Amino acid sequence: MSIRNKTFIISLIMAPVLFGGGFLGLALMNARPDIADRHVAILDRTSLVAPFVIAAAEETNKKDVFNKKTGKQENPRYFFETVPVDPQSPDAQRLALSDRVRRRELFAFLEIGADALHPGEEVDGDDPASKTRAAARRVGFYSNSSAMSDVRYRLGDAVDTGVRRARLLQLGVDQSKLHDLLGSVKVEPMSLVARDDATGKIAAAVKKNEAADFGVPFTVMALLGMIVMTGASPMLSSVAEDKGNRVFELLLGSATPFELMMGKVIAAIGRSLTSSLFYVAGATFVLYGLAIAGLVPLTLYPWFYAYLLADLLFLCSLAAALGASCGSPQDAQQLAIVLLTPVLIPYFLFMPVMTQPNSGLSTALSLFPPFTPMLMLLRQALPQGIPAWQPWVGLAGTLACTVFLTWSAARIFRVAILMQGKTPKAADLVRWAIRG
Amino acid sequence: MSNPVLTAITSPAEEFLSNHAVEISAVTKTFGDVAAVDNLSLVVPEGSVYGFIGPNGSGKTTTMRMISGIFYPDSGDIRVLGQPVTGARRDDVSYLPEERGLMRKMQVQALLEFHGELRGGRKVTKEVSEWLARLGLGHAATKKVEALSKGMSQKVQFIATVVPQPKLLILDEPFSGLDPVSADQIRDAVLDMRRTGTTVILSTHDMSVAETMCDYIFMIFRGRKVLDGTLDAIQEQYGNDTIRVSLEDGVIPDLPGVEKIRDLGQVQELRIARGCDPQELLRALVAQARVSSFSVTRPSLHDIFIRIAGPAAEEVKVA
Repeated sequence: MSIRNKTFIISLIMAPVLFGGGFLGLALMNARPDIADRHVAILDRTSLVAPFVIAAAEETNKKDVFNKKTGKQENPRYFFETVPVDPQSPDAQRLALSDRVRRRELFAFLEIGADALHPGEEVDGDDPASKTRAAARRVGFYSNSSAMSDVRYRLGDAVDTGVRRARLLQLGVDQSKLHDLLGSVKVEPMSLVARDDATGKIAAAVKKNEAADFGVPFTVMALLGMIVMTGASPMLSSVAEDKGNRVFELLLGSATPFELMMGKVIAAIGRSLTSSLFYVAGATFVLYGLAIAGLVPLTLYPWFYAYLLADLLFLCSLAAALGASCGSPQDAQQLAIVLLTPVLIPYFLFMPVMTQPNSGLSTALSLFPPFTPMLMLLRQALPQGIPAWQPWVGLAGTLACTVFLTWSAARIFRVAILMQGKTPKAADLVRWAIRG
Repeated sequence: MSNPVLTAITSPAEEFLSNHAVEISAVTKTFGDVAAVDNLSLVVPEGSVYGFIGPNGSGKTTTMRMISGIFYPDSGDIRVLGQPVTGARRDDVSYLPEERGLMRKMQVQALLEFHGELRGGRKVTKEVSEWLARLGLGHAATKKVEALSKGMSQKVQFIATVVPQPKLLILDEPFSGLDPVSADQIRDAVLDMRRTGTTVILSTHDMSVAETMCDYIFMIFRGRKVLDGTLDAIQEQYGNDTIRVSLEDGVIPDLPGVEKIRDLGQVQELRIARGCDPQELLRALVAQARVSSFSVTRPSLHDIFIRIAGPAAEEVKVA
């Protein structure tokens, strides 16, 4: 009955939108970038660097502004205006340029300090002399946009290249060799080489997809977390509401408290598994569509469902116990954060675990039963793999913890569902779990 | 004679050592520091209607829940239909709670069939339809519970309890919220079930229900048994210390030997002290007023209840 209604269908669609909204937003932003031209003034106190910076920026304009395949403009173009330096009134000159930025005549202005070409060693200090030297070495990007603006990063590359070229030419290096000398070295991620068992030939290494290497494991973990959260959260208020409506008092004549609790838990698990089929099928379809299905080994699917079942049982039982101890659905809402802590903390920990999946800390965290489903699954989804014994130990620990929690929750549920009046304290819940 | 206020009368039922529907032996149940039920022993014979009475918070519901197996006693034993009470649900015992707890979004027929199938593991469509018709709810079968009145909800809840045809029926204030017609319907249904062999335990605050329906009456006060027996035996304990008087001018003068006067409107109920001769009282009344009616009787259950659990009982105990 709980899946044959509009609410279930709507939640099935909205859950991934809400959880993946950030990435959706990023995709939408990338589809419609801000490509307005950027007019930048250069105040070059070295009197040498500006032409090199402008030349480097124009090379960027040619390379990165238009999509080579579609010809569509994907990034803004940069246009420069060299402003003569007024050595008598530097502050007044900066103010005038700032006002031009405010009037939107300019996007920003770049001030290249007099010592930017040869800055020497870094100077720290709050004394006036140190501050003066720091100002002379500085290349400042003055704008209204935030420090996170990507314009600063793009222009920074051009400034870096321009200044290095100016230095090399000062040293007498042949201009034709500049590209070779300044070319950056990009380290590409490659897969390991293997021999094809069937043909005996050595298969060529393939270049790894960085986005997929990050996105796929994270998505697997996030998918599990999303299904568990959407499955367990409604239990909390549902049980509290049933308790407030005294539904359990009549049902206790027909079923034991444990049967009542497990009935609700099993229903929640069934609902979540139904929605998981849609999400897993959809994700698999997307993986095949992107030709990266090979990044998710087939062996991961049964592990996904094993962890999903264990985590759902764990959290739904906890939700039932917490819901039974509340006096109203409003009280239950306040306990939602307690309920979802085992899901939220792995989200905070996923980056360090992904970057060092086999470190002692990552291993220990993924073997901690409340975190095991999400973190162990994340580690298993990473290309480097983990020792074979760890998922089994993790699953065993999770199941043992789940059985214990379900048993404790049933004892709390039995006492709490008939308690009316003030909400019990944590010590009461522990006592009920122990004494029943 | 000992103070009748807190004397537990030996239940005649205990004379019959076989065929007990419920046997409670030295049961205690506490919640925190409060002893909801304190060293209670009780026997309910099979096929009887056993009335539980007592003030609010005295332990009636806790006792009923322990018999149903919802609560476990802290000490003592409870046997129901010859079996010790465990956590397992029993198909032959039904419990109607005091509060209405129906799933509000379900239709009545579907809800009752759900409860029936939950208990008996079989379809109960026919039985549900019959009960709905019997209690005048045939028209409400397809209505949602949230659309029902308080009395109709109570009847639906009653049907959910009796559809499985239990051998022991425990009803916590079954007449609560019912108009006289509905109350009669429930009463007739309960008595019909008793005739077919079902044992009924019911709690009520309506003393006339206890007096007319119940074979035995058990009163609990602050967790302890204070009365247990037939109405006759209970009243016999107090003797004929009650006089019902009607006067033409309606004002009872001061009279010696009268401990308490209860004004019932057209009739005044006098409780007389031990040793007071009703004939002397009648002579004193006639001398001062015109007497319309004068009868010597035993105290009503209502009166006994007040004597035990009313504020005056506090004064007696303190004294």
